[in-house]
Amino acid sequence: MQEENLKVAGGTLTDYIYSSPVDHYQHHFRRIVLVIVLVALALVLIAGLYYFMSDRTPYYANISEHFKYGSIGAETGGSIFTEVGGVLPPYFVFKTLPAICPDKLPGGYASLGLVFEPGHDLPIGVSRRWRLGVEQVGLNCAVCHTGTVRQSADATPQIVLGMPAHQLDLENFFRFVEDASLDDRVTADSVIATAEGMGDHVSIIQKLILHLFLMDRLKLVTVSLQNRIGPLLNGGLPEWGRGRVDTFNPYKAIQFNWNLKLLPHDELIGAADFPSLWNQQPREGMHLHWDGNNTSVDERNLSASLGAGVTPVTADHASLQRIHDWIWTLPPPKYPFAIDHGRSARGKDIFTQACAECHSFGGRKTGTVENIATINTDPYRLNSYTYALTGNQAQLYPDSQYRFTHFTKTDGYANQPLDGVWARAPYLHNGSVPTLLDLLTDPAERPKQFARGYDVYNQQKVGFVYDTPQAKQAGTWYDTTIPGNGNGGHLFGTQLPLDQKLDLIEFMKTL
Amino acid sequence: MSDVIFEPLKFRNLTVKNRLFRSNVSGRFDNYDGSGTQARINWEESFARGGVGAIISSYVPVHLRGRIIPNYAMVDSDDKIPFWRAVGEAVHRHDCKYIMQLSHSGRQRDVPGVENFREKGLSSTSQKDSFHGLLCEAMSIQQIKETVRYFADGARRARQAGLDGVELHASHGYLITQFLSSGINDRKDEYGGALRNRAAFLLEIIQAIRKEVGTDYHLQAKLNAVDFGDALYPWEKKGNTLEEGIQVAQWAEEAGVDAIHVSIGSIFPHPLLPPGGLPVDEFNWWYGTMISSGVRGYMNYTVFHFKLLRPMINLLWNRTKKSHPVEAVSSEYCREVKKNVGVPIINTGGYQDGKVIRRVISEGYTDAVSIARPLIANRDLPHVLQSGKDLPEKPCTFCNRCLVNAPANPLGCYDVRRFNGDHDAMIAEIMKVYAPSQFSEQHLSAAVASEE
Repeated sequence: MQEENLKVAGGTLTDYIYSSPVDHYQHHFRRIVLVIVLVALALVLIAGLYYFMSDRTPYYANISEHFKYGSIGAETGGSIFTEVGGVLPPYFVFKTLPAICPDKLPGGYASLGLVFEPGHDLPIGVSRRWRLGVEQVGLNCAVCHTGTVRQSADATPQIVLGMPAHQLDLENFFRFVEDASLDDRVTADSVIATAEGMGDHVSIIQKLILHLFLMDRLKLVTVSLQNRIGPLLNGGLPEWGRGRVDTFNPYKAIQFNWNLKLLPHDELIGAADFPSLWNQQPREGMHLHWDGNNTSVDERNLSASLGAGVTPVTADHASLQRIHDWIWTLPPPKYPFAIDHGRSARGKDIFTQACAECHSFGGRKTGTVENIATINTDPYRLNSYTYALTGNQAQLYPDSQYRFTHFTKTDGYANQPLDGVWARAPYLHNGSVPTLLDLLTDPAERPKQFARGYDVYNQQKVGFVYDTPQAKQAGTWYDTTIPGNGNGGHLFGTQLPLDQKLDLIEFMKTL
Repeated sequence: MSDVIFEPLKFRNLTVKNRLFRSNVSGRFDNYDGSGTQARINWEESFARGGVGAIISSYVPVHLRGRIIPNYAMVDSDDKIPFWRAVGEAVHRHDCKYIMQLSHSGRQRDVPGVENFREKGLSSTSQKDSFHGLLCEAMSIQQIKETVRYFADGARRARQAGLDGVELHASHGYLITQFLSSGINDRKDEYGGALRNRAAFLLEIIQAIRKEVGTDYHLQAKLNAVDFGDALYPWEKKGNTLEEGIQVAQWAEEAGVDAIHVSIGSIFPHPLLPPGGLPVDEFNWWYGTMISSGVRGYMNYTVFHFKLLRPMINLLWNRTKKSHPVEAVSSEYCREVKKNVGVPIINTGGYQDGKVIRRVISEGYTDAVSIARPLIANRDLPHVLQSGKDLPEKPCTFCNRCLVNAPANPLGCYDVRRFNGDHDAMIAEIMKVYAPSQFSEQHLSAAVASEE
């Protein structure tokens, strides 16, 4: 043995004077095992990071499919990491709520006017996105901007993209989701069992997440959401009804944490019709929104997405840009029924004389705000948008290209271009007048009450059927005497003879 | 009426008084350096006294690097000759023959010992063994030639010691098996590949021994009829078939062996040999001696240690045993070997019952049987059989507790049931091997006399 091997280190003989082949083998083997364990741990870590940290959503190459089902970033829902809640609960919960609580929504989501297509388990306007280890769902533009039209009660509904979702009962949709999410029957067990009963595969990890975190988080998030927007949905205000939404009051609560109970009661009345989405390019620079509070199509789009549940953190700007590019030039839908071209030709002249200045692209006043005193339509929607909200909106997206700089408080309602106006019934900002012919009628003679949301079309009056038993059954009842629902104002054309009115609305079918 | 068991068996150069051979077995009775002790003499003499016709020694290493376990007397140098002479003389006093089993462990070193643990075992291959994970390296041609020489030298020393013959341990997975078996030998040179090549090492040893000791000295080979290399782990290779085993026996006969000792099993212990039980509780107590011998020691010990895991080893160990009897486990294969060779045959594996032994001899399965465990349990088994009984009062149960104790403890019968549950009585019986000691009156007075 060499002398250096006998040296004593710190008074103790070193361990390795020599070693055996078995030692070498086992040392080598353990190193391999260690490497394998480390690699396995790394893989688990990577897989875990991918599972819990990746943000992915189906990509739809077809723009129409993207519009209908693509995510714009509204899936902010619950997770094991955060209580930040979205408008909708996670996928499995959302999908199973109607089945678990059938008494609360006997007809399912379709009964609320959400449009289902074959081959899709979610309705148009509801997107999926994997975030924070959970499949989330959110709303996209299409939920409020996809309408259905039928020629008759026995015809198949035609889905028109970009059209106001006149059939959608958004308020009761929100009410159901909130109410059912807090229902005692909605548990991890019931969600898993129901989803699997529907043919879904719920992975073990998802089951664990549902059991350990997600349902508790969901209940908390829902209670929190309820606390914020409860004053809007708890029955103390006029119903929105089908085809309408209060654009800015939920916005105040969800985005800015305003305590709605402290606001004046009348300010909380702000329901208005969903607008159409097509043909945005010529609208750039016009006063957009019913009250014309913004002149930028992009800002209006981004702001509207916030209404759908997108947050500044989760907004999918690339996806929104695709929507922007598409609706920039999306043509209005052609009137799907017969047109009397003789009347239409005569009506064109009347339109040019009586309407074009305010309602044609290129019209002198088109896209400008008409003072409320002049137009004299219902003022609630105008008043629900306030200076204070303008100030808050300006604080969103600070130091970024998305910061809002075009919001203003106006004093009236904007003159809207009337492209595709046949599909935009009912009329006026609050949808208080069911048809164009009714709009050309003196306010005192306009229908006081009617059903809205029924998608069979009235070709004579140009608008949806509103006064048949079927319409009353399918739609929500609209009372023009309730605050915010007034059908007064906009007297233009009311003095025309009936024949000219019929000529005019025949022409308006072609816009 | 004569009893075939007690008819003499004539080999070319040796006659044995009966057909009962003590098979090769011993304990760690000798000195660590391979020199012998009185305990070994006592051990061997006890069997001779019991009436066997011949004793085959335990494995006797022809070289230190080929030692299976320390504390076994070796025959690696001439200074060992006097000890073996003393063993032979003690045995001969009882009209019993003594055949030294020349052995080289190859890779199968159950306990390498302080001299060997820094070097891998030598083998035909560099692949570790399947059971304990014993590491090894393939022998060079020069090492093969040297090892052939060690065997020849061992045979010479046995003859010089006055022993009655030698046996080559060419079965049970030791070095010569490692060359013979297609399941182990992966050489690409003239000692690997075809069966003839794999048998070259054995045949060269036989030729070298014959050259060293002449043709008038008893030489036998213990061979596997079949390897059953996949008996424990089904993913291992099967090794040599019966046809190959017969062929090797024929070549050995041609090369000059006087007898074939037939066994089976590519490793030792093997699920089929020694036949009988697998005392996992004993493994739990004593396998610790072997944990660091191979790279699978810890794994094996873990399985032996935890009762929840023991079904795993029981499942593997027992899966091929169902198709074989415990008694006369290899007799069917032995008969096939016997049919194809001319020299006398000795068969081992599960022999105890007189009826069975008479049958295999009288019906041509074998010419003699070799016995280890039943003789450890009852050294006087030959006398019992000769008295007309087929079994002793407390026969061997083939529990294999002796086998598992062997690497750690003095060899003996560890089946306490045979001692009516009296552990002290069992230990006392085992310890008899140490009496008389070399410092007893008998030995001391003999030493004084020689000085005078």
